Amino acid sequence: MIAWLDANLVSILNGVAFGLLLFTLAVGLSLIFGMMDVLNLSHGALYLVGAYAAYRVVGEAGGSLGAFLLALGVAGVLGLAAGALLAGITQPLARRGHLHQALLTLGVALVVADLLSALFGDEVHSVAAPAGLRGSVRVLGHGYPAYRLFVIGVGLVLAALVYLLVERSRAGAVIRATVADRDMVQAIGVDTRKVLVGVFAFGTLLATCGGVLGGPILGAQPGLDDTVLILGLVIVVIGGLGSVKGAFFGALLIGQIQVLGVTLLPEYASFLLFGTMALILTLRPAGLAGTAARTAAPGSSG
Amino acid sequence: MGRQMRVGRLRPRWILALAGLAAATMTVAACGGSAVRGGGGGGGDQETVKLGVLLPLSGVYAPLGEDMQQGLRLYIDEHGGKLGGRRVELVTADEGEGPQTAVPAAKKLIQQDRVVAVTGVVSSAVALGVRDLFTESKIPLVISNAGADEITGEASSDYLWRTSFANTEPNAAFGPYVADQVKGGGVYVIAADYAAGKEAMGGFKETFEAAGGKVADERYTPFGETQDFQPYLNAIQRSGAEAVYCFYAGAEAVAFVKQYEEFGLADELPLYSAGFLTEGGALDAQGDAALGIRTSLNYAPDLDNPANERFRAAYQNRFEEEPTTYAVASYDAAAVLDQALTSIDGDVTGEQIAAALGEVGEVDSPRGTWRFSETHNPVQKYYLREVRKQGAGFTNATVRELEG
Repeated sequence: MIAWLDANLVSILNGVAFGLLLFTLAVGLSLIFGMMDVLNLSHGALYLVGAYAAYRVVGEAGGSLGAFLLALGVAGVLGLAAGALLAGITQPLARRGHLHQALLTLGVALVVADLLSALFGDEVHSVAAPAGLRGSVRVLGHGYPAYRLFVIGVGLVLAALVYLLVERSRAGAVIRATVADRDMVQAIGVDTRKVLVGVFAFGTLLATCGGVLGGPILGAQPGLDDTVLILGLVIVVIGGLGSVKGAFFGALLIGQIQVLGVTLLPEYASFLLFGTMALILTLRPAGLAGTAARTAAPGSSG
Repeated sequence: MGRQMRVGRLRPRWILALAGLAAATMTVAACGGSAVRGGGGGGGDQETVKLGVLLPLSGVYAPLGEDMQQGLRLYIDEHGGKLGGRRVELVTADEGEGPQTAVPAAKKLIQQDRVVAVTGVVSSAVALGVRDLFTESKIPLVISNAGADEITGEASSDYLWRTSFANTEPNAAFGPYVADQVKGGGVYVIAADYAAGKEAMGGFKETFEAAGGKVADERYTPFGETQDFQPYLNAIQRSGAEAVYCFYAGAEAVAFVKQYEEFGLADELPLYSAGFLTEGGALDAQGDAALGIRTSLNYAPDLDNPANERFRAAYQNRFEEEPTTYAVASYDAAAVLDQALTSIDGDVTGEQIAAALGEVGEVDSPRGTWRFSETHNPVQKYYLREVRKQGAGFTNATVRELEG
């Protein structure tokens, strides 16, 4: 057992790092769906916007901590703006159900991906880790990239913050109340439109900042938007729609499957991801943290 | 589905904004697409030949397509827009990511644009998918990348020619060298799980084992869906191997090389590969992580021969980057078509070009001289290259020629 742990320690740790990176992506997707009932298929494209922002600001080599923080700032502003815009264009379609909104966000995703390809070309780009986080550190006798430890730290802090914000804070209470009964919240003097736009913008902010955070690991290239969107959707399905806890445990599970699963069962590497999703959908259709099946939004038969 | 969508509730300004965005995207895409269509004179002119160019203008292979267009354009422009004394009109079609886009594009080139020959093709699946179309239409296809062995093996045809390489070759050329370097130690063999990866590893293992090399273990990773190689790198570290031989290209090459360094393998185990690992844009993205990697390929930018000296200077001058093997293969595709067309009198047909390609002798190429084999594949040299610093960037420097 000890020998096994020792041999696979780096893989387990790496699964956590990869999982927490995916968490930043999936939690935004999950919140937007849970709170606003919009399946935002442009989430992956927004991640890619963040990744290209990191490539442009930080570069492929060198790159100071200041440049990295600047990239986060740029990505944050872009994310907030994109969220407000998406909230604006999906709201008029709200009564027509999920399909129309999802198609609209899919269209936005295609346009954004094409614009990025026109701006940055189709080459594969990497992003340098910020100075001080480059190179590897020894973890219990094994070499491990310092930047990935940083990602683990950031991911854990972010998870705690989002959990406190949504589940424990007053703002979170207003958000949940808005989802439950919009008219009642309006009646006590809260502008519910602002609440909804705020949630959307926060979700997309997490996507673009996730792109910066993931830049030094996954780089920036055409097609990455689809890859991360699919991983995010798998996590949201596994974790349960709209749940922060679900996204957290779903992301950690997918992280381990992508890394430890591949170590233990290399022959089945291609099937592990979707095999897990199928298994969980069979055993717990509402997801790991899901409670009851969600009722469909009015007019969602589209 | 789109047709069923009613836009009644979309506010007009959003429609305008989206339409504006969409229009902007299409304009940009169109500019990129038409960039190669140069020099087209009036049709019907006896002295003009229409040459089809089938290259990926979109999708994951687009960066290769760009290098290939540049090589082709450079040759034609260096020769005053003419091949074999005739003005050349290039008609470009998008190969996309596979046969589903490429086959209709090839049909359009042959049937609608009535080109006399076609060059390009990145994907082996495309090359094999259009083989019968070209053979039956009697239009020669001069492939300037797609490397499947079959194309110039079992599937060879009078109308298929190749100026690039067969997948096994750069790897087979490398086997004896790697065996000599590891001196009896095991080599871990890892590649992307698709036809080219399998062919590459087959070519390597054959000559490597014949030269006394030992394969420590062998692993194929899911093609195009592996972002994190750490689990595989962990297995390599625990295998006791003394070196690693891999086959990756594009995005996977960048991820593999960077992670190979990040997880500390670069200091312990030398990494060998066919040169696609560190070619072109991939090398820029890998940066420091690629330093010292030794690869085998039919071209390196610093090859010492007069043709390359001229070619490299002109290429750098015009495109402000180092030429790649992809650019050279397309440059040579234009060169063999030039030779073939020169030997034809009067009207030009696809059949005549195919016959004339068979008479093309030695090609004086930037990679050194080469000629077509019986099955229309280049008989060429392979070089040992090493990634070194060059100015602010990195380059694949020639170490020496590899003995067949």
